[in-house]
Amino acid sequence: MKQTFRSKWLLIAASLCAGLAVLAAGCGGGGGKETTTSAAGGNKSSSSGKAFDNFRIAYDTGIDFLDPGLSYTVQGWSIMWNVYLPLLGYKHVNGPDGATLVPYLAQSMPKVSSDGRTYTFTLRKGVKYSDGTAVKASDFAASIKRDYLIDSPGVGFFSNIVGADDFAKTKKGEISGITTDDAARTITVNLMQPQGDFENIMATEFAALVPANSPSKDSSTHPLPSTGPYMIQSYRPNKQVLVVRNPNFDASMFDGNVPAGNPDKMSIDILGDAGVALTRTLKGQYDYDFYQPPVDRLAELQAKYADQIKVYTPANTFYYFMNNRTPPFDNLKVRQAVNYAINREALVRIHGGLATPTQQVLPPTYPQYKKLDLYPYNLAKAKQLIKEAGATGADVTVWTSNNTSRHAPEAGQYLQGVLKQIGLNAKLKTINAAIYWTTIGNQSTKSQIGFADWFQDYPHPLDWFDVLLNGNRITQTHNNNYSNFDNAAVNAKIAELKKQPSLTPKVNQDWEQLDKMVMEQAAWAPYVNEQGIDTFSSDIDLGCYVFHVLYQFDFATICKK
Amino acid sequence: MAQRAETEFTLDTAAELAAVEGGAAIRGRSPWYLAWRRLRRNKVALASLAVFLLIVVACLLAPLYANHVAHAGPNDQHVLGTVNVNGKKVDIVSKGGIINGKLVASIPIGPQWFNAGGKFVLGADRLGRDVAVRLLYGGRNSLIVGIGSSMICVFFAILLALLAGHFGGWIDFVITRFFDLFYAFPVVLLGIALGSALAVNGFHHFGIDLEAGNLWIPTLVISYVLIPYVGRPLRGQVLSLREKEFVEAAISQGARPLRVMFSELLPNIASSVLVFFTLIIANNIVLEAALSFLGAGVQDPTPSWGKLIADGQNLIISRPALALAPGVAIVLTVLSLNVFGDGLRDALDPRAKVKVEH
Repeated sequence: MKQTFRSKWLLIAASLCAGLAVLAAGCGGGGGKETTTSAAGGNKSSSSGKAFDNFRIAYDTGIDFLDPGLSYTVQGWSIMWNVYLPLLGYKHVNGPDGATLVPYLAQSMPKVSSDGRTYTFTLRKGVKYSDGTAVKASDFAASIKRDYLIDSPGVGFFSNIVGADDFAKTKKGEISGITTDDAARTITVNLMQPQGDFENIMATEFAALVPANSPSKDSSTHPLPSTGPYMIQSYRPNKQVLVVRNPNFDASMFDGNVPAGNPDKMSIDILGDAGVALTRTLKGQYDYDFYQPPVDRLAELQAKYADQIKVYTPANTFYYFMNNRTPPFDNLKVRQAVNYAINREALVRIHGGLATPTQQVLPPTYPQYKKLDLYPYNLAKAKQLIKEAGATGADVTVWTSNNTSRHAPEAGQYLQGVLKQIGLNAKLKTINAAIYWTTIGNQSTKSQIGFADWFQDYPHPLDWFDVLLNGNRITQTHNNNYSNFDNAAVNAKIAELKKQPSLTPKVNQDWEQLDKMVMEQAAWAPYVNEQGIDTFSSDIDLGCYVFHVLYQFDFATICKK
Repeated sequence: MAQRAETEFTLDTAAELAAVEGGAAIRGRSPWYLAWRRLRRNKVALASLAVFLLIVVACLLAPLYANHVAHAGPNDQHVLGTVNVNGKKVDIVSKGGIINGKLVASIPIGPQWFNAGGKFVLGADRLGRDVAVRLLYGGRNSLIVGIGSSMICVFFAILLALLAGHFGGWIDFVITRFFDLFYAFPVVLLGIALGSALAVNGFHHFGIDLEAGNLWIPTLVISYVLIPYVGRPLRGQVLSLREKEFVEAAISQGARPLRVMFSELLPNIASSVLVFFTLIIANNIVLEAALSFLGAGVQDPTPSWGKLIADGQNLIISRPALALAPGVAIVLTVLSLNVFGDGLRDALDPRAKVKVEH
């Protein structure tokens, strides 16, 4: 089940919603060909000739917001990916090419100054919001300012922009590092330091453009005008989201980067039970089941509905964090002992078999991934390390959440059992998933060890090492570095690599080395990369299925038989 | 024989019994003895008591079963382990993934009954733990919480009912408003709210230190939320008794409030208390199961029947025994207690309308 991811991880897999079409294998392609009329009364729909009236989705309950400045869940971003467009975005294609950044609202990729600190974008000409008003360059500055005004969880991404921190304090005036010219349609962003992932950040939903006069408050239930091929017609929390075509969207203006989409409408019903969602999808009451099917029903799926499912591997890593500031995990030997003691094959089975074991930070979908085998299962060695560290009998509290879709309760109980085996006095604390991340991300909690996972915000190693393991980014609250891992050499390497403007083979090799460096310090005890399953009704033509490296299943490019 | 039949359930008083069996034989026998005579003729109630006691004994013997039959504790994990079933080695949790191009789920072994030498009689859970062992240990915990919370609940309910009923006035007003306050909240919701809050950090106030996961937490939460449901009807009885002549006589003879409450009033509500106690145990076992199922009761990895149902629900199709076994245990326990409670009520005071409602 795809569930609410904690803040900062979410971006991940969003796929959804809105529409576009073209590209993807089997789905035809070509831009600009008009077909049906949208439910919203607009035009310029599917360019693939495979438009259909309604894509019915059984959704889970994890939507946090449907406001591009506030949402930080897969559920939210999946819907908004094709609704609120940033200046840059990703290709709507299968495979690694999906990580390629392309201009969305910008007419081309930005010009970057030689020192890597200034990015200049030019807005496409003639783009309109769904309410008919013109998109202006100054809307970008207003959108970033709005993020700060509404306490967006994404403002940390913009802290390198000159003047952003000052604006965060005063919330008045302008962000000095952003200058715009509506007449020339130019946007210039000045950074304090070169930042290798800045273009990826410009492709996040937090950087999506909304009208400058948008209210500085959560607009989820009063959707803001959109720039993408779709717009949110209505949102009734915990009940339904209706997404319809944006009448003012013209795919031909986007050079094929933003397809128009096949469904004229997406009716997204929020259901409370994975089993119910699956049953109804298999019966044809829904076209797509957003939930992960219960492990219990995989045999049934394989036997009867094998041609209605797609197994995919998103970029994720499940791991146990170990708080480097709290005994006994301030001792390298103890952290290494945990890595030796966990049997990753057992954890694969706990995940229902739909996972692969891992011993490192980066998932195998990354080009910077080079398989590490530093900690083969060795319980005797783990016990020995605990003795050497003098940690035998140390009191340890294992933290986990009750998120069964992520197998967190079982992972926590498994770890508790393992820690007892190697001589630690382990207790388990299971808390509600809704407050789990904020609880363990608060330094006052002093959480020692526990369950964690990460789904990429954007396909760049910085989203892993900088966000999760940079000691310079440890915060008192909302901390993502649950291990409080603060290693000077690692920090310096991250800072160095952050300045690299592109991921060349040499840079990728450095990231590989960093992965090894982090794991030699046993910052985490990573255990699996999880796989997922998309389930469809028999009406859906899976020849159109596009699995995006970041947003996962692309709702918009799907088609019917 | 006709007279015998007549005495089955209808003889309420010593006078009636005397008329049937002879005054000399019945003279001097206490109401408790008379109640016992009535109860022992209620075979269904006694059979229910026997079932309940059997469950209790089975749960108490859990360590014996775990050590000498299953050879595994309630939290012993065997995710990658194997077990001999009729001479064949079988994975306790099967391998999963994409095998030969097919999607295969990792599923724990199902009930083996006695094909695996007493191991995994009811199968295993996702962590390869023996479900039968956890069922017995879980039963112990459910009974401890159910009975413990009932004792605490009834104790405070009696105390508040005696205070309110005897003193009346502002004391009655305050206690009654306290009861009303609790009545305003649905029991399960209140239990979830308190249980969830205490499940995070435990309880560390007034010199009491209860870590999260301690069985005292669900015990106290359940007893706390149900006090008014026992206290209010008892208060009504005390109010009624307070006006009786024997109470006035005691007071006129100089009996102090404590003596009146505990020597005059309490013995006269004892039969109701006993029936309430029996019925509230069943009620509390169900409530514990509900709270644990929802994550607000007994905490992982400690087993309880509600917790086991929650653990088993995700495998309800392929391994239904995981959820059905604790479900059946709860049904049997609650049914036996309720039937016995009804029999006890008939024996002690057939006219009483004692029941737990919320």
